[in-house]
Amino acid sequence: MNFADLIQIVWDNLKAHRMRAVLTTLGIAIGIAGVIAVVAIGQGGEAVIMSELESMGSSRYFEVGPNYMKGETADSKTFSLQDHVLIKELSPAVEKLAPVTMGPMVDVRLPNSKKKPLMSSLYGTTPDLIAGLNLSMESGRFLTDADVTAHARVAVIDAGLAEEYFPNEDPLGKKLFVQDNPVTVVGVLQKAPSSIMSAFQVRSVYAPITFAQEMLNTRVINSLCGVAVSEDALPQATSDCIKILEKRHPGGSYMGTTMDEQLDMVGNVTSVLTLIIGAVAGIALLVGGVGVMNIMLVAVSERTREIGLLKALGARRRDILLQFLGEAVALCLLGGMVGMLLGIGGAFAVALAAHWPPLISFWTVLLALGFSVVVGVFFGLYPASRAASLSPADALRHL
Amino acid sequence: MIKVKGMTRVFGVGDAAVEALRGVTINIPEGDFVAIMGPSGSGKSTFLSILGCLERPSSGEYYLDGRDVNSLEDDELADLRNQRLGFVFQSFNLLPRHDILRNVEMPLVYAGVPRGERRERAEKMLTQVGLGQRLKHKPAELSGGEQQRVAIARALANNPLVVFADEPTGNLDTKSSNEIMEIFQKLHQDDRTIVLVTHEPEVAHYAKRILYFRDGEIVREEVNDELR
Ligand SMILES: Nc1ncnc2c1ncn2[C@@H]1O[C@H](COP(=O)(O)OP(=O)(O)O)[C@@H](O)[C@H]1O
Ligand SMILES: [Mg+2]
Repeated sequence: MNFADLIQIVWDNLKAHRMRAVLTTLGIAIGIAGVIAVVAIGQGGEAVIMSELESMGSSRYFEVGPNYMKGETADSKTFSLQDHVLIKELSPAVEKLAPVTMGPMVDVRLPNSKKKPLMSSLYGTTPDLIAGLNLSMESGRFLTDADVTAHARVAVIDAGLAEEYFPNEDPLGKKLFVQDNPVTVVGVLQKAPSSIMSAFQVRSVYAPITFAQEMLNTRVINSLCGVAVSEDALPQATSDCIKILEKRHPGGSYMGTTMDEQLDMVGNVTSVLTLIIGAVAGIALLVGGVGVMNIMLVAVSERTREIGLLKALGARRRDILLQFLGEAVALCLLGGMVGMLLGIGGAFAVALAAHWPPLISFWTVLLALGFSVVVGVFFGLYPASRAASLSPADALRHL
Repeated sequence: MIKVKGMTRVFGVGDAAVEALRGVTINIPEGDFVAIMGPSGSGKSTFLSILGCLERPSSGEYYLDGRDVNSLEDDELADLRNQRLGFVFQSFNLLPRHDILRNVEMPLVYAGVPRGERRERAEKMLTQVGLGQRLKHKPAELSGGEQQRVAIARALANNPLVVFADEPTGNLDTKSSNEIMEIFQKLHQDDRTIVLVTHEPEVAHYAKRILYFRDGEIVREEVNDELR
């Protein structure tokens, strides 16, 4: 029996029980649609979060802070204002490094304005931070070394603040009050290209670290933020920083984080989610497979006499096996193709609604179809081999 | 052609065992036309089914066309049935989902005959049994006698050495029975070997030899002189 004959026999048999074939196929279709849609939606979502994160900073960005895993917090002894200078001199892996003193919630207001002050984050830092932010200047300039040495009363504000306070005028040279300290705006940062994350973005003010520490009345530096010479040099850069810091501040314990690690973390979360939903879809597929097996077993017992007849006419064991296996695989493949269309449609619908790219990979589709064939073979094998191993006389005697 | 010696067939084991055949010995030469008669349950169908390689004997020797059938594997038996044997059953056993042309083609499908030749041969067979105009009909659209003619065409499609028929007229009226038996008679005249089970004397009368079965044994053999 050649392949064309096999296909024709399988097709004729399925056609004889159209309704049954359609219903059996449905189970598989739902499973496959689930797998394709979930993977596509998961990948689309992940891609969005990744690009958001990437837009928040350079891929060579890293941070060194007190080792909070060991319960350490930053105090005035954790870092000194000279650390970043020294580290940059000693470590060839570190390209840029800036100390950051954070004021998470400071009042920012216009002079002579009745408007409620806006809560912003205040970052006291040095010129190098701009390299890590992955943002360029919308107008004006970032902080300079001269600003830092002079405790200059200047600030760089983000695009959000600029829009809020200076919607129709050039903010450069204008005065703002930060914690009731008058400061002059010298630069405005470009708007972050993010869409989803911008909703959560807190407004930020950047000031020379020396001046910021006066405003916040603290000597604490919260972390060092830097950029490595290359992505490969990231581990070297963080470990260099930690080594030098531990030498300079005996008893201190430090840890580094990189953008890579943060991306990995997001990747982990989304892939766990994908896995869970994928597993649910997989179970649906399994149930569909059992449905196929059930229908094939019914077909075998309904057609026992026919199997006996085909054997009497000269069908070998293999011919019968292939015929029934072919029916099971055809059911699953049919289901797989319907499921593929449904899954792709679903993924597109979600992508359209959530404004993210519909990432339907060729491989997912191929894998899903391949999987439906495997389900067909797996769940078809038992009924098929039962049919094939009947003795012709016994099968013919069957009523 | 067919040599059987001491053939037995036991169904079941222990107290439930039924001896359907208790040592049958017979020679059937090429071109013979044998009718098997006997009361119901005497083992006629079992014997025919073993001769047709549809099941195996419990013991005894069986040579078909010089080959020791007992030593053959299942797939070899399948090929033997496909190439050398043809079957006609009481209940026709046609495939209801396929037209009669396709039904007759089935043995040729398993023989690996190419599509075009297959179709041609099946058409020829159906024309020979007078159904050349009904090729695209489904079995259910045909009368019992016509269905049995399709079954005969199918049995002959692979040009077999032997045709086995188990009560081929059992489900037919007298007129159709006669038509069917005339086809068998023609086959016999063309030197085809035929083994046929029946309980109707008129049907057995077409045969050259009649074997009488009782309790799994051949109890009598009769040679039919006045061939019709
Ligand atoms: N598959 C089977 N299992 C058990 N007993 C069987 C089976 N087939 C036939 N028999 C028994 O073997 C005997 C012969 O049956 P069979 O060859 O069909 O007789 P016949 O065709 O002459 O009526 C009967 O007693 C029948 O009950
Ligand atoms: Mg019988």
